[in-house]
Amino acid sequence: MQDLLYFFQQLINGLTIGSTYALIAIGYTMVYGIIGMINFAHGEIYMIGAYTALIAITGLATLGIAWLPLILIVALLCAVIVSSSMGWAVERIAYRPVRGRHRLIPLISAIGMSIFLQNYVHLAQGSRNIGFPALMEGSFRFGSAEGFQLSLSYMQITIFITTLVCMTILSLFISRSRIGRACRAVSQDLGMANLLGIDTNRIISATFVIGAALAAVAGLLLGMYYGSVDPLFGFIAGLKAFTAAVLGGIGSIPGAMLGGLILGVAESMTSGYLSGEYKDVVSFSLLILILLFKPTGLLGKPEVEKI
Amino acid sequence: MNTSVKKLVTAVSASVALMAAGQAAAEIKIGIAGPMTGPVAQYGDMQFSGSRMAIERINAAGGVMGEELVAVEVDDVCDPKQAVTVANRLVNEGVQYVVGHLCSSSTQPASDIYEDEGILMITPASTSPEITQRGYELVFRTIGLDSMQGPVAGNYIAAQKPERVAVVHDKQQYGEGIATAVRDTLKDAGIEIAMFEGITAGDKDFSSLVTKIKQADVDYVYYGGYHPELGLILRQARQADVDAKFMGPEGVGNKDINTIAGDAAEGLLVTLPPAFDQKEENQELVAAFAEKGEDPSGPFVLPSYTAVQLIAEGIEMADSKDPFKVASALRSGTFETPIGTVQYDKAGDLKAFEFVVYEWHADGSKTPAN
Amino acid sequence: MATPNLKHALFCAIVTLIIAYPILGLNLVAQGTKVGLEGATTSTVISVVLAAFVVFFFQLFRDSIMGSLGKLPKLNPLSGREPMPQAKRAKLESWVLTAIVVFALFWPFLVSRGSVDLATLVLIYVMLALGLNVVVGLAGLLDLGYVAFYAVGAYTFALLSQYFGFSFWAALPIGACLAALFGLVLGFPVLRLRGDYLAIVTLGFGEIIRILLNNWTAVTGGPNGIGGIPEPTLFGMEFGRRVKEEGNTSFHETFGIAYSGEHKVIFLYLIALVLAVITALVIRRLMRMPVGRAWEALREDEIAARSLGLSRTAVKLSAFTIGAFFAGFAGTVFASKQGFISPESFVFLESAIILAIVVLGGMGSQIGVILAAIAVTILPELAREFADYRMLIFGAAMVLMMVWRPQGLMPMRRIHIELKRQE
Repeated sequence: MQDLLYFFQQLINGLTIGSTYALIAIGYTMVYGIIGMINFAHGEIYMIGAYTALIAITGLATLGIAWLPLILIVALLCAVIVSSSMGWAVERIAYRPVRGRHRLIPLISAIGMSIFLQNYVHLAQGSRNIGFPALMEGSFRFGSAEGFQLSLSYMQITIFITTLVCMTILSLFISRSRIGRACRAVSQDLGMANLLGIDTNRIISATFVIGAALAAVAGLLLGMYYGSVDPLFGFIAGLKAFTAAVLGGIGSIPGAMLGGLILGVAESMTSGYLSGEYKDVVSFSLLILILLFKPTGLLGKPEVEKI
Repeated sequence: MNTSVKKLVTAVSASVALMAAGQAAAEIKIGIAGPMTGPVAQYGDMQFSGSRMAIERINAAGGVMGEELVAVEVDDVCDPKQAVTVANRLVNEGVQYVVGHLCSSSTQPASDIYEDEGILMITPASTSPEITQRGYELVFRTIGLDSMQGPVAGNYIAAQKPERVAVVHDKQQYGEGIATAVRDTLKDAGIEIAMFEGITAGDKDFSSLVTKIKQADVDYVYYGGYHPELGLILRQARQADVDAKFMGPEGVGNKDINTIAGDAAEGLLVTLPPAFDQKEENQELVAAFAEKGEDPSGPFVLPSYTAVQLIAEGIEMADSKDPFKVASALRSGTFETPIGTVQYDKAGDLKAFEFVVYEWHADGSKTPAN
Repeated sequence: MATPNLKHALFCAIVTLIIAYPILGLNLVAQGTKVGLEGATTSTVISVVLAAFVVFFFQLFRDSIMGSLGKLPKLNPLSGREPMPQAKRAKLESWVLTAIVVFALFWPFLVSRGSVDLATLVLIYVMLALGLNVVVGLAGLLDLGYVAFYAVGAYTFALLSQYFGFSFWAALPIGACLAALFGLVLGFPVLRLRGDYLAIVTLGFGEIIRILLNNWTAVTGGPNGIGGIPEPTLFGMEFGRRVKEEGNTSFHETFGIAYSGEHKVIFLYLIALVLAVITALVIRRLMRMPVGRAWEALREDEIAARSLGLSRTAVKLSAFTIGAFFAGFAGTVFASKQGFISPESFVFLESAIILAIVVLGGMGSQIGVILAAIAVTILPELAREFADYRMLIFGAAMVLMMVWRPQGLMPMRRIHIELKRQE
C-alpha cells in the first residue's frame, strides 16, 4: 500500500511540474506556429513575471495588506502587465526587423535578447536567490499506510486548476473569437492572410502578448510553489518547456499541454525511482526518441515537403 | 583587409597599455578572490568585508615594510571555471599573495595555478581537506577542515540516537565532501543511513527528493551544500509534512536561508566556527566594523581579516616579499589574531580549530545547541 | 498622420515605463530575515523617465529620423566602389593572410603575458568557429549543440591524463578523432530532420553530454571538474617551474635561462596558432573539393542536391564529422591552457556564442569568421571596466548586429568565374 501511495505522490509531483511546463510551453508553441520562430527569450519573460509578482507581493506586504485573494490578484495583474509589455517590446525590437530572413538570424537575435534580459534583471535586482513568501500553505492528506501519507497541497491544486482554466480559455479564444480566427489564418499562411486584409503585425504582437501573459501566470505560481527566484532560473525552465512543446508537437496547443505533462511525469518518476541526478538526461533522451520516430512530435501535423 | 590588421594592432596596443598602467611602485598587491555575484555572494561579502578592514587598519598603522597594501578584488562566482580565469588574471597582474578563494571547488583548481606560479594563498573559508593534501608549500587556511567538521556533526546526530538518517549533498567538492565525512562518522557509530543522494545545485524543484525522504521515514537529514538549495528543501519538506530534523555545515548558516525557508528554518542545526566576534579581545575590532556599518558576526569575516594580517606579519617576519620565504615564516611562527592563537602544521592547516553546533531560528539568530 | 503616430508614440513610451520601472526602480532586498522593497536611487528613476521620453520622441519622428539615417552610407567613401575582380581578390586575401600569420608568429615575444593568454583563447575560438562554420555556414545544418564536441575533446584529454598519464601530443589526435566519432554518431539520428527540429535535437544532445559530465562524478569529477591537466611538452622538456613527470627535463634548466611564466604561455600560443592555421587551411582545401561543393549544394537546396545524386547521408555526416574533429582540437588546447575543466565551460551559452561568431562573420566566409572570433573574444576584455555590463552589452550587440547587418561582417563570396565585360 505504501508503494502505491508513493507512486501516486510522485505522480502528483510530476503532474504539477508538468502543468507549469505546459503553461510556459504554450508561449513557445504559439509563436512557432505563427511565425516559425523559436523564441529563446520566452524563459526570461517567465522569470520577469516571477520577479514582478514578488515585487508586487512585497510591496503589498509593506503596505500592510494581508488578505490573500487581493494579494494574489494584484500580483497576477502586475506580473501579467509587465510580462506582456516585455513580450510586446521584445517582438518589436528583436524579431520584427528580422522576420523573413534566413532562419538563423532571428535565432541569434532571440538568444541575444535572452542574454540581455537575464543580465538586465541580474544587474537590477542582484544575482542572489530571493525568497518568495509562502502564501498558500496547507494540504489535503490521504491515507496513512506505515506512516507515509499522500499529501496534495493547496498550491498543487491551484496550479492544476489554473492550468486547466487557462488552457480552456485559450482554446475557446482561438476557436471562437475573431482574433483567434485571425491567429489561425496567419499560422496557416501569412502571405494570404495579409492579402485578405488581416493586420498580421497586430496578430503576431497579440500572440507574443498572450504567450507572455501565460508565462507570467506560471511565474507567479511557481514562485509561490518552489520558494525562490534568481535571474537564471528562467533559462532552464524555458529549455524544459521548449522540450515539452516540441515533444507534444510544436505549433499545437493541446500538444504543449500533453508534452508538458508527459515531461513532468517522466522527470518525477525518474527522480523518484532511479535518481534525481539523471532526470534531465531522461527528458532530453525522451525528446530525441520521439523526434526520431515521429519527427513532428506527438500531436504535430505531419509536414508535407513541397517541392 | 587592412581593417583586420588595424583592428588587431589596436587591440594589442590597448591591451599592452592597460597592462603597463597596472604597474605601480611601492605597494604590495593582495589579491582577494571570492564570489561577488552569484548564489553565495553573501559569503563573499564577508570575505571582502574582513579583508578590506584588515588592509585599512594595517595601512593606517604604517603599512608593511613601509609599503601600502593594495587590494586586487576579483569575482569567481563560486565557480571553478571562473576561479581559474581570475587566478590567471591575478598571475598576469603580478599579484604575489591571495586571500581566497571561498568555495572549496574554486580554491582547489586555483591553488594549482598559484602553487605553480609561486603565489602565496590563504583561504579563509574553504574547508575541503584535499586542498592541503597535495604537498603544496604555498597553501594555507584560516578555517578548519571538513574532516573535523564532519565528525562534529556526525557525533552530535549519533548522540541523539536516531533510527534512520538521510544524507543529501549537492555533488560539489564542499557539499559532497562533508556529506561523505558525516556519513562515515554515522556508519562508524552504527547508525543506519537510509539514503545518500546528490542533487544539482541551481535546481528549484525538490518535490521528488522530499517525497523520497518522506518515504524513507528518517529522523535526521544531513545536507552538505549551500543555503540556496537547503532553504528550498526545508520549505518544500515542511509543506509535504516531513518531520525530520535537518542539519547542515557552515555553508547554510546565513540569514538568507530565512528569507527562503521562512518558518521552516526554525530548528535547523548548523555547525559553525565559534563566534569570534563575541570574544572580549575582539571588541575594539567589532566596534570598528560597526562604525563602518558592517557586521562582523558572519563566520568568514574575521578569518579573512586574519588571513590578511598573517600575510602582513609573515612578510615582516621573513623580512622579504618572496612568497616562499613568507610561507616558511608562517609555518614557523606563532601569531595572535582575532580568531585566536594561530600556528600552522606542515600542510598549511591550523593546528587547532573547533566547530560548534548551533540551532538556527526563524528570526535569523542562533543559539548553541546542547 | 500625426494622430496615429502620437498614439503609437505614447503607447511605446508607456510600455518603456512599464518594463523599466518595476525591475529597475524597485529593488528587492533582504531585510533581516524578510524580503523588502527599496526604491532605487533618484538617478535610476530619472534615467527610466528619460528613456521613456527618448522612445516617445523617436517614435513620433521616426520617419524623418530613419530617412536621414538612410543618407549616412553615402558618407562612407568605400561604398559605391566596384567590387574587386575575383582573381585579384583571391591573391590579395592570401597575401594578407600570410602576413597576418607571420606577424602572429613574432608578436608574442613583444607583448605581455596576459595578452598572449588572451590571444590563445582567441585562437581556440577561431578553431571552434571555423569548425562550426563547416556545419552551419557551408552545409546549412542548424547545430545548436556544437559545444558537445568541444567538451568531448577537452574531457578526453583530461581523462586520459588523469587516469593513464597521457601527454598533450598523445591526447590531441585521440581527442580530435573521438570528437569526430561523436559527430558521426550524432549525425545518424538527425539525418531525416530538417531545420528547427535538427536544431532542437542537437541542442538536446549538447545538454545531455553536459549533464552526463556533470553527474557522472565518479569518472568525470562532476561539477568539480578535472584538474592537473598537463601542458604540452617540447621533445620532453616541460615549461613549468618544477618538472611534474619523471623523465622530463625542464625547459629553463636545459637552456640555462631563468624561469619565467611566459615560456609556458608563449609555447601554448604557438601550438594553438599552428593548429588554427592547419584548421583554416584544411577547411579551405575541402571547400574547393567535391566534398565542400556538396555541402554548399545541400545548403542551397537539399532536394535538388539529392536529385543530382548526392548522397544526403554522406554529405551530412561528413559535415558533422569534420566540424566535430576541429572542435576536438580546440577542446584539447583549451584543457591544456586552463589546466582544469568543468562542465560549466560547456553550457549552451558557449554554443550560442560560437554560433553568433559564425553568423556575425558571415556564414561560410572564413576570414569573416576569424575576424568575428577576434572581435567577440577581445572586446569584452577591453571593456573590462564595464565588467558588470559585459554580458548585457554582449546580448544587446547580438540583437543589434542581426537587425542592422545580418549578412555578417564579410559575407561569403562564392568561388566564381567572372566574364570580362565586352567593351
